[in-house]
Amino acid sequence: MNGAAAGSARRERRLEAVLSYSLLALATVYALFPIAWMLSTSLKSEAEAFSLPIRWIPQRPTVSAYVEMWTLKPFGLYFWNSLVVSGVTALLSTAVGALAGYGFSRFQFRFRTTLMAGFLATQMISGVLVIGPYFQILAAVELYNTLTGLIIAYVTICLPFAAWMSKGYFDSIPKELDEAGLVDGASRLQIFLRIIMPIALPGTVSTLLFAFLLAWQDLLWALCLISIDEKRTVTLGVAFTVGEFMIKWPMLTAASLIGSLPTIILYLFLQRFYVEGLARGAVKG
Amino acid sequence: MATGRTWHDRHLGYMFVLPATLMLVAVLVFPAFITLKLSLTPDGGSGWALTLTQYRKAFGDPVLFQTFKNTFSFVAWSLVGHLVLGLALALALNQALPGQTFFRLVALIPWTIPDVVAGIIFRWVLNPISGSLNPLLHAIFPGFPAEFQWLSSPTLAFPSVIFANIWRGYPLVMVMLLAGLMAIPRELYEAAEVDGAGRLKRFFHVTLPGLSTIILIALALDMVWEFRRFALVLTMTGGGPGTLTEVLSTLVYKSYFQFFTFEYASAMAILMSVVLFVLSLPYIVLVGRER
Repeated sequence: MNGAAAGSARRERRLEAVLSYSLLALATVYALFPIAWMLSTSLKSEAEAFSLPIRWIPQRPTVSAYVEMWTLKPFGLYFWNSLVVSGVTALLSTAVGALAGYGFSRFQFRFRTTLMAGFLATQMISGVLVIGPYFQILAAVELYNTLTGLIIAYVTICLPFAAWMSKGYFDSIPKELDEAGLVDGASRLQIFLRIIMPIALPGTVSTLLFAFLLAWQDLLWALCLISIDEKRTVTLGVAFTVGEFMIKWPMLTAASLIGSLPTIILYLFLQRFYVEGLARGAVKG
Repeated sequence: MATGRTWHDRHLGYMFVLPATLMLVAVLVFPAFITLKLSLTPDGGSGWALTLTQYRKAFGDPVLFQTFKNTFSFVAWSLVGHLVLGLALALALNQALPGQTFFRLVALIPWTIPDVVAGIIFRWVLNPISGSLNPLLHAIFPGFPAEFQWLSSPTLAFPSVIFANIWRGYPLVMVMLLAGLMAIPRELYEAAEVDGAGRLKRFFHVTLPGLSTIILIALALDMVWEFRRFALVLTMTGGGPGTLTEVLSTLVYKSYFQFFTFEYASAMAILMSVVLFVLSLPYIVLVGRER
């Protein structure tokens, strides 16, 4: 009786493993097939990309598409622009967000909870609701077609997340540390900068990452706020290449892959951290 | 605590939150009010003579009606796809089988691709002549038409866009549900096993109830994002053929920045935001109650 039950349990477990592996294998094909096709195309010459019947694997692999994206098109410049915009956005939104988070965490003031709810509510605002007037404001102060105008927008979009994340982190740091600083005669700003921020540094990783990725991946704001080639970001460069009359697919796929590389690396490198953060934050509410 | 310091602290608190608040007001709140005002202005008009012309036009506009319908089904089908795939994969990944880390990394990859690129990828995969899906389907089902026009087909263009969006978005739901699964205490399963509950019973009585909150949160967050999805549709089909794959974000963008009908675009943006707000109310209430 007991042995039979154990046997059926083992059989059940084996069946479950087989089912899981089949599902995971299918998912692997599903996830990788489109990307593999991009990679294959990016290693072909233009003639081979359009040869029929299609070739799954390039017969004469070439890196000419990867050379063309830097020489025929200024993708080097686009990368530099994206890097500047995303890097500055990450740093600024984390800093300004942490200031606000510290204010929410350590002080009691009127409209504190209303303001916190307001921060959260701004996250529901769609880009297309505000981008027209923002575009006109930028034109009026001569920041249209500048990376600065784009950075201000991205920093602001990231602020609610940055403020809430850092507030949560500051809440877990004992207030006695602040009070010890006060006793030593430090100002609140000094306490924030010299005592609390260094402790909270690991907690800012998720904010930095969130902001960097948001700025790197965005198309809408860049599309509406940048119209000159010298200021285009990578996503904008890719989107304009796809809009051209004769699409050079090998070059476009090469640029798309290289353009995705920073986000692929960041996500995969930090995915464990993401899952843990979600488990702590979202699941337990 | 001395009263003097309390007073001081109260004002210091404002100082700390001031920069962020000012930026949010200048970049998001103030422009939102300008859009609201613009939506109440007649075509090419200015000043404060407010009118409902734009909204009257919106309620009789077949393109806007179609776009709302498109957006709803885009969001609904994306959510269904994300939930089914995300839950199935989260359950499979939660088994602690050998090779699990590899599968988890691979399953996450679509999430790491910017939506601009996801749109381009699928445009190329679905290319009728030089794409890879037609030859693949032809190899599996020899009767399949050789040069099937996915993205210019009136019936299949929209499902193709949704298919691409399911590919792009399922990993986020998967990751959240996986986190939820790992948070269910092992003892609950052991207790159920002692009580003689079989696999299915354990799934329905332990797993699903333990996941219900996180499923709701994941779907609500996903809904807000999919409702605003822009770049994927723009690079994959540009809204075409005709307006068959148009969604609200692309329609408002085009009306504003390509057709320069600022007032009408503003009215559409306001309607879109009101609908999104109403749809996300249950989530806001849920989170408010949890905290």
